[in-house]
Amino acid sequence: MFYREAGQFKTSYSADQAIFPIRQDRLGLLLLGLVAVFAVPALANNYFLETIFVPFLVFAMAALGLNLLTGYCGQLSLGTGGFMACGAFFSFKLATAFPELHIVVVFLLAGLGTAGVGVLFGLPSLRIKGFYLAVATLAAQFFLVWMFNKFNWWTNYSPSGVISAPPREIIPGFFVTGNEASPAAKYVFLLIFVAVLALIAKNLVRSRTGRSWMAIRDMDIAAEIIGIRPLWAKLSAFAVSSFYIGISGALWAFVYTGSVEALAFQIDRSFQVLFMVIIGGLGSILGSFLGAAFIVLLPILLNNAPAALGIPLKVELISHLEFMIFGALIIFFLIVEPHGLARLWQIGKEKLRLWPFPY
Amino acid sequence: MYGDKHIGDTLLKVDNITLAFGGVKALTDISFEIREHEILAIIGPNGAGKTSMLNVINGFYHPQQGRIMFRGAERKAMRPHLAAKQGIARTFQNVALFKGMSTLDNIMTGRVLKMKSNLFQQAIYWGANQREEIEHREVVEKIIDFLEIEAIRKTPVGRLPYGLQKRVELARALAMEPDLLLLDEPMAGMNVEEKEDMCRFILDVNDEFGTTIALIEHDMGVVMDISDRVVVLDYGRKLADGSPDEVRANQDVIDAYLGVSH
Repeated sequence: MFYREAGQFKTSYSADQAIFPIRQDRLGLLLLGLVAVFAVPALANNYFLETIFVPFLVFAMAALGLNLLTGYCGQLSLGTGGFMACGAFFSFKLATAFPELHIVVVFLLAGLGTAGVGVLFGLPSLRIKGFYLAVATLAAQFFLVWMFNKFNWWTNYSPSGVISAPPREIIPGFFVTGNEASPAAKYVFLLIFVAVLALIAKNLVRSRTGRSWMAIRDMDIAAEIIGIRPLWAKLSAFAVSSFYIGISGALWAFVYTGSVEALAFQIDRSFQVLFMVIIGGLGSILGSFLGAAFIVLLPILLNNAPAALGIPLKVELISHLEFMIFGALIIFFLIVEPHGLARLWQIGKEKLRLWPFPY
Repeated sequence: MYGDKHIGDTLLKVDNITLAFGGVKALTDISFEIREHEILAIIGPNGAGKTSMLNVINGFYHPQQGRIMFRGAERKAMRPHLAAKQGIARTFQNVALFKGMSTLDNIMTGRVLKMKSNLFQQAIYWGANQREEIEHREVVEKIIDFLEIEAIRKTPVGRLPYGLQKRVELARALAMEPDLLLLDEPMAGMNVEEKEDMCRFILDVNDEFGTTIALIEHDMGVVMDISDRVVVLDYGRKLADGSPDEVRANQDVIDAYLGVSH
């Protein structure tokens, strides 16, 4: 960066193992946090909060979950949509069956339930790898969506198959779901929730569990020689990943859209999250956020850019252009840096560390 | 340095091992033993079954016949991670490091079996898990000092030159604090200096930690210099077994390596 770590000596291993070892990074993050919590809800209007920030955070959560599985443990999965549906419907059943249960507890329990389902569908990973595993996880995708669509017990026998989130408060008088919830309240709740879970994910990947996952990803034979049990490593990755994805599905249904049907979690949802992970950067927590931002924000930006620049274009033309430019940008980024935006960011930092000197 | 070296009792004994893949016999009726604190070299021409032998000891391959006794107890059917738990570490012929991770993380991964904190402690990180991480980091730093790889601690191993990768792999195996260390061609593809370094490290490990070492090596100079005993395999059979001098004088071994005139 423009700043350097010169003069900041580490005298203990705990300082060396910190997530942000450089002081300026810590200050920057603190500043970003303050802006995100206080400035954004105060300055942004409801449209921005509802269509940009809330979906961004929900998708970031899903991308984070998939990144733990695919990026860190190397298990390719196309079941993300199905697991999101699990989270959404589990939390709906829990919230309506036990109205007194706190909403955060509902989300966490839905996540745990999804983790169980994830472990079940992760069992084939013990035998098959790579693309073949991806095909096996498709079974989860199609089966789960079919199940939530077919049995209307899941929707409390709603004739349309749509579930609506009941209003719930995070603290008395402060609604985060239902009609009374203000966009700002939803946003701040999501922000804190996602930030805490992202921190937990970071802690996991820099501990024994994360190293076991990466070992399995990079060289499974050597991992086994060291004493890592592939069974445990792969299934724990499926469990933790599904936990995150399940919670993101619950947040999608309860906080983002407010009402949802099983068909919202079709296969294209799985692909969308997978693209976020690939574009953002496999094996990077930051990458999950960058990827989610890219996929959520760019279409909106492209859509609004002609009007903002004062170029008169027909609406259909704009939407066609949006698809073309979006596709071209994805290809461009993948050619420039196949390891995603997170790696691009890292390379940029390394370059700036020396800049303006050649070495 | 070697004068007072104490070679103890049998640590691992393989008895009449036969391993076949379909009709191909990789190992036929092999028996030998590895004694505590010794350096045992397994040599033989290409395809002799040396790596297969290590894979059997490691639990990768399951021999059709024969027994393996480790520390006096007969081993049942074995999985590699169970072998690791018993204290058998291993390096590979072609480097098998975790390419996406730094040197430090690679070696820390070697401590996996020694770490006890559970998933929730790891999720919270601060507290028990951090104490444990630091405790193991200290051990790992000692190994890093020992193998003189301080400068590449934070480098992703994919970027390291081959000789250093081999050294990191040895470091990772040492992090397991093994009783028996299996080295599959630790010096393949190295130049003379790197080979000398690696020999020094192997002798030091053996000397300072008392680790028993079984190694496969093609460089006869190295083998004759550092090993206490040599086992010679050829076409899956054992040709000879004894001190370097005995093996060097053995007619079968000379024939296998140099060929026989017909």
